[in-house]
Amino acid sequence: MSDATLPKMQARPAATAPRFRSATEESPAARGALIAIATGGLALLVGAPLAAVFAEALMQGWGAAVASLASRDAQSAIRLTLLITAIAVPLNAVFGIAAAWFITKFDFRGKAFLITLIDLPFSISPVVAGLCIVLLFGANSALGGWLVASGHPIVFAVPGIVLATVFVTFPFVARELIPVMIEQGRAEEEAALTLGATGWRVFRTVTLPNIRWALLYGTLLCTARAMGEFGAVAVVSGKIRGQTATMPITIEMFYNEYLSVAAFSMAALLTGFALLTLLLKTALELRHADALSATRRH
Amino acid sequence: MHIQIDEIAKEFGTTTALHPVSLSIPSGALVALLGPSGSGKTTLLRILGGLEFPTSGRVLFNSQDATGLSVQERRAGFVFQSYALFRHMTVFDNIAYGLNARPRASRPNKAEIDRRVLKLLDLIQLPQIAARYPTQLSGGQRQRVALARALAIEPRMLLLDEPFGALDAKVRKELRQGLRDIHDETGLTSIFVTHDQDEAMELADLVVVMSMGRIEQIGKPADIRARPATEFVREFIGA
Amino acid sequence: MSRAPLIQRTAMPGLGLSAGITFFMLTLVVALPIGALLWQGANFGLSNIWATINRDRVWAALWLSFRLSFLAACFNLVFGVILAWVLVRYRFPGRRIIDAAVDLPFALPTAVAGIALTALYAPNGVLGGLTDQIGWQIAYTRWGIFLALVFVGLPFVTRTVQPVIEEIETEVEEASATLGASRSHTLRHVIAPMLMPAALTGFALSLARAVGEYGSVIFIAGNIPLRTEIAPLLIVIQLEEYNYDAAGAIGLAMLAISFTMLLFINLIQIWSRKRIGHV
Repeated sequence: MSDATLPKMQARPAATAPRFRSATEESPAARGALIAIATGGLALLVGAPLAAVFAEALMQGWGAAVASLASRDAQSAIRLTLLITAIAVPLNAVFGIAAAWFITKFDFRGKAFLITLIDLPFSISPVVAGLCIVLLFGANSALGGWLVASGHPIVFAVPGIVLATVFVTFPFVARELIPVMIEQGRAEEEAALTLGATGWRVFRTVTLPNIRWALLYGTLLCTARAMGEFGAVAVVSGKIRGQTATMPITIEMFYNEYLSVAAFSMAALLTGFALLTLLLKTALELRHADALSATRRH
Repeated sequence: MHIQIDEIAKEFGTTTALHPVSLSIPSGALVALLGPSGSGKTTLLRILGGLEFPTSGRVLFNSQDATGLSVQERRAGFVFQSYALFRHMTVFDNIAYGLNARPRASRPNKAEIDRRVLKLLDLIQLPQIAARYPTQLSGGQRQRVALARALAIEPRMLLLDEPFGALDAKVRKELRQGLRDIHDETGLTSIFVTHDQDEAMELADLVVVMSMGRIEQIGKPADIRARPATEFVREFIGA
Repeated sequence: MSRAPLIQRTAMPGLGLSAGITFFMLTLVVALPIGALLWQGANFGLSNIWATINRDRVWAALWLSFRLSFLAACFNLVFGVILAWVLVRYRFPGRRIIDAAVDLPFALPTAVAGIALTALYAPNGVLGGLTDQIGWQIAYTRWGIFLALVFVGLPFVTRTVQPVIEEIETEVEEASATLGASRSHTLRHVIAPMLMPAALTGFALSLARAVGEYGSVIFIAGNIPLRTEIAPLLIVIQLEEYNYDAAGAIGLAMLAISFTMLLFINLIQIWSRKRIGHV
């Protein structure tokens, strides 16, 4: 091996070790540039719209914003959205728990296919989801015609909105619970059974405490999406003012009627809820990381 | 290549990994850094390889100061404990990696790279595995591929961190002889880290016993066995 | 050799109840509505479906939705990987806030995102006013649609790539450096291939989300037929005209696109599991 290839180095006093760069780091300039791209891009794409919502809502001051939320249409929209959420989220929580229990506590053929089916609503356009519900229950179908005739319409009524909301939020709880329950295995439940506990008791005293944070996490994401769903609800609700107009639908109505403060005030209300969701979500990730599915821990 | 370690010390924050240590390694030697975990042996090896930088002190290669050389400039063939093979590359591409990473001016042409990789596969006695991926290899095969990959860059020295640590007893015995053979064939100054005194005594020309960031004794295996310098060495060797 | 039984017998309680709820909900919420769409399509007939889709306005909308979604997903692929890298590898003030902010597009209702982006990038908006001065109109053009689709797809790549970056062993990067590779060579030839499967999964998820996106787009798009009209809007328009057959036909076309992308995601994951031994 020739030593001529050795780069010449100046002899340097042993005490003054220079600041070396680790082999697994980028240069400070590259680092700075990447951080600038990331924060700058996010500020422009996410931060600016966020600020715009509140700025537009408060364009004519707090009074106007609050007053716009007190209007009859706004109040009925808020009540309807709360109602829909209060029905759809528990339905999905029950479904999520049942599906996760079925999938993780039993061995059966076609499990992978079942999981794909549960995930399916995530890959379908909300508008197509709404369309499917209209085609099934709308007045044009045999089933829908009969429902309307018997005085229980689904489409253009609250049940349709609930159904659409459940559809678009379908996988949220299940997909948070399944990885956690797979990780935890079945041994604890089996131990409880051998000690004489009944099925319900096992679930309440053994399973539920283990999955409660993941359940809360999934429910949180489900709630945020349920309150904000637009495309599917726009299709099935018929947008009847005071009856089937949820908060997002009412935002669109106000916006199209050039009631900018009213539209953005309601948007600010939903944004406030979204921020609260993020806050709780981050808190869960920080404090209960080991109780959440692995991809949620960062 | 002759390696001189001159009063090297290393601190990580408030903890001292290495008190000032000095060591001279003659060209072509096969040296074991022997000690329990936390003795500073891996830190010393990483400083030689340019992966860590000393808080004070100097490293001299053939009497030239190499302390400030970057890891790329050192050209030390480094074999990691986990082997750190690139999982998305075939064995061939792993071994050719260092040659392909050279700037265009000094990069050998494709035929030359082919020739060198195949020669190295012969050297590690695995001529038939070029097209496989690391996940398809046994532990012993991975270790030899990592060795071949380090040799491909025509290193000035060979640094091995617990090269046999992840292997079962039988394979370990076979590969010890393999390392000895490769060392003798290439004539490279080679330094390996181990906590296994049998391994150090059987394989090395020179054994450096370390503990708590200090060098306890430097000597030929027979001398260390016959005349342990400190109580620590006596106990560690006796175990 | 006999096949495994449909379901293994076990002592675990709740089989009937959990399976019952799962299949009841799956049938009512997912299977029946999608079945209704397929049934509608079957009755309408393949030639009629083709005749509905094969019109300039429908083609233009489908092509616009897919093309802009693809471009937005490409942008998100690059930006999302940078964002994930910065969040995992660097420590800087505000990192936690940035990390939480990545999820905002998931949490913010799409209609809110739509009117907020429009207010910002319309010619009389804060940012739109700036770009207007150099003759670059964003809102009510394809740029606006692109922007909205970037927004809704933003978190996917970052969230799929982040855990993979966390799991990279530093020894692999060190090995590359000891072999003489520069940092940028290591990033391109060692890190990038390791992130590729996760990044592609995120890309496909972002693409799938964008193709079906409606709420955030319609406010900023301008919705001019043949130019800035997206496919989901066409479905809504057909439904408002009570033209269920046409709406169903376009819906089926979009469902086909969704399934193709779902298949693509699964293929990536199978491929990467084979190749690298993990997902």
